[in-house]
Amino acid sequence: MTAGSLWSRVEPLLSRIERPARYLNSEWGSLHANEALYRAVFLYPDTYEIGQANQALGILYERVNRIEGVAAERAYLPWIDMIDLMREERIPLFSLESCSAVGEFDLFGITVPYELSYSNILEALDLAHVPLRAENRTESDPLVIGGGPCVFNPEPFAPFFDAILIGEGEDAIAEIIAAHRAAKAEGLSRADALIRLAQVPGVYVPALYQPTTDANGTLISIEPSRGAPAVVTKRVLSSLSDHDAPTCPVVPFMDVVHDRYALEVLRGCTRGCRFCQAGMVYRPVRERAADEIVSDVMAGLACTGHDEASLTSLSTADHSQIEEVLRRLTRRLAGTGISVSLPSLRVDAFSVELARLVSAGKKSGLTFAPEAGTQRLRDVINKNVTEEDLISTVHHAFDAGWRRVKLYFMIGLPTETDEDVRAIGAVVERVLAAAREATPPAQRGAIRVGVSVSTFVPKVQTPFQWEPQITLEEVRRRQSVLREGMPRKGVDLHWHDAEISFLEGVMARGGREVADVVEAAWRAGARFDAWTEQFRLSAWLGAFESCGVDASVLATRERDTHEVLAWDHLSAGVSRRYLQRERERAFSETTTPDCSFAGCTGCDVCGDLGVDIVLSGGVRQ
Amino acid sequence: MTRGEFRLRVAYGKTGRLRHLSHLEIVHALERMVRRARLPFAVTQGFSPHLKAAFGPALPVGTAGEREYFDVWLTRYTTAEEVLRMLRASAPGDLSPIEARYVADNAPSLTAALTIGSYEVEVDGKGFDASKVQAALNEVLSAGEFTVVHKGKHKVFDLARSVPKDARVTDRVGGVTVDLTVRMGPQGSLRPEALIRHSLEVAGIEASAVRTMRLDTFVEDGERVWSRPV
Repeated sequence: MTAGSLWSRVEPLLSRIERPARYLNSEWGSLHANEALYRAVFLYPDTYEIGQANQALGILYERVNRIEGVAAERAYLPWIDMIDLMREERIPLFSLESCSAVGEFDLFGITVPYELSYSNILEALDLAHVPLRAENRTESDPLVIGGGPCVFNPEPFAPFFDAILIGEGEDAIAEIIAAHRAAKAEGLSRADALIRLAQVPGVYVPALYQPTTDANGTLISIEPSRGAPAVVTKRVLSSLSDHDAPTCPVVPFMDVVHDRYALEVLRGCTRGCRFCQAGMVYRPVRERAADEIVSDVMAGLACTGHDEASLTSLSTADHSQIEEVLRRLTRRLAGTGISVSLPSLRVDAFSVELARLVSAGKKSGLTFAPEAGTQRLRDVINKNVTEEDLISTVHHAFDAGWRRVKLYFMIGLPTETDEDVRAIGAVVERVLAAAREATPPAQRGAIRVGVSVSTFVPKVQTPFQWEPQITLEEVRRRQSVLREGMPRKGVDLHWHDAEISFLEGVMARGGREVADVVEAAWRAGARFDAWTEQFRLSAWLGAFESCGVDASVLATRERDTHEVLAWDHLSAGVSRRYLQRERERAFSETTTPDCSFAGCTGCDVCGDLGVDIVLSGGVRQ
Repeated sequence: MTRGEFRLRVAYGKTGRLRHLSHLEIVHALERMVRRARLPFAVTQGFSPHLKAAFGPALPVGTAGEREYFDVWLTRYTTAEEVLRMLRASAPGDLSPIEARYVADNAPSLTAALTIGSYEVEVDGKGFDASKVQAALNEVLSAGEFTVVHKGKHKVFDLARSVPKDARVTDRVGGVTVDLTVRMGPQGSLRPEALIRHSLEVAGIEASAVRTMRLDTFVEDGERVWSRPV
């Protein structure tokens, strides 16, 4: 393999583009191997400042660089100004560390973070001069592997990948690399190497699965071939402590999102919110022990020099030792100007106390997610929060000195009526009243309530995976119903763009036929769809039309619980029986408790995957 | 300056590929370097406590600096040699501290003190030599005034004041090198690159690339008497 650096051709472009810090590499913490027998590059399909803080890629980068004879590098999609210059100068997509062409690596890993990143995957492959479709790649092309949050329905991007890892990558990535190295050493063809890779647990090789449809285009089966498993089940670690958390991650030069030292304190969430895909697919709950967290945070801050540490997870306040952890950290960091932050809060007084513990006088704002406006609808979605909880929590927060809260709601949830939509405004009204009551009169002018409203998008592997998404017109109608009932003074109202939600919905549950649409949309100029100012629904609608795929049907059709779903050959461990039972409970407005607080609720993850809940403090409170 | 604090002045280089960083990015990188070095740094008092440091005049994106400065306040005395060693161990390769010295607590701030910048500008291209570029530059300098348009605003520089020393152009392989010294200050700092690009344009000289490096910055002690701030 030639490993020529492209830097001498890249550098002259840097004076002609915005934010050259995106392309520099040599950041503190970046790892530079000299000689490697096998080289992997991991790409985040968006710009450096969006992707740099991705913790999963940070973990894989560190893990793979530890393997004897193997080097891992990073790559990001350049911004449009740089892409245009690179195409003009015929410079291929390059890695950061050695500035080598991505196409020259043995393994090209791409994380798939979001439904609207699919066009960027094609932009990256094309810029790398790697054939877009796995079927067109030759022996000299890298093995293109996907992973990340969107893999639980990978069909809309499946043909672009040689293999896709379902689930957690810490152990699996080493097994994939070992299998690929062995296949290369034996001189296996690309096709035979993929058959071998399909034997690694958790690895899905799309080419080995053939979807079959009937005359009406209805999916009737997805058949595996060449010995590939009928169902690919996600990989999951039994304990987070099996692997050390990265304590010397890359420290970026430029301002990036989440520009702080981040430590994952627990993985998984079993609150059981029925709309939430993360809560279903990252089970079970596994906590890191308090001692480990404190020592990793101190080591991470010392190694990186960051002035903020974030304790990340889906629900950090749920950690059974969170109070102890925060007390120990704030004591150790007193007088250093270094702060600790929590990404999300539960709607309760305990969470406000935790926020107070780490705020050190700074009270910028607190965020809560009641999700729905009525108790009935909150019971449907299993959001175990009452309005009383919310009001008393807000009261507590303003009493403690906060003057700003942000509330997350959704519209378009299953069974929602106009009454539920209007109730959101009423809830905000009562939140404002509680805030005023708890705030001294002279300071009441500073009260702000941010209200962020997104449209519900049904996700696979959730109890709502069969539900219809509401149509674009209906979204707009309900938005106007909501706006009518929303108080104006002191309220900042934000919407998630309805057109973006619509496309998210199509991608979330579309089948393999949607891959043609993704390619057609990219050819029509779609890229950086997650950037609102770049997003053009028209390019996508044209692509659906030219491919003969009805986008509305994919998003808004109610699925029958007996029909074959495009993602049935993949499993997140949560059984279909459980999802169906939870769906029935939703429609009977019955809640289900959190198994990490109460008893087992029968999702079947632990039994089927041979894992268990790990609570470092024994019990949660 | 608070009692019991020690003001340390550090000279460092912004070189190699890190010349493409912005001033704010450099500031963050230096602060992180200080924290990584585990220096006993002082923390500002107030609403949002943070590391107490101050920085010299900003360098634009793309401009390298051979000898730049920042001040950091320490709460415990450690020999300057030891601090320099700790900083160097925590520095990214192209952002390396060169020298560290304690300065008086009442010394003027770096931005107020440093009013002279000495630059080296490399101009690449074919079809010109040092004498041609020197003539082009002299032509513009003799005009006495130079107007820069930035974001719709016109800024007029008095060249006699802004260029306090004769510019010198020398030949090298692949082009020429211009040595240019400019005055910096709160009224605005003339960008050597802007002046040179303008001179080339007026003379119809086409450059394939222009690279700027600030070699040094100085305090003005008197008429044409300049010194380093440590």
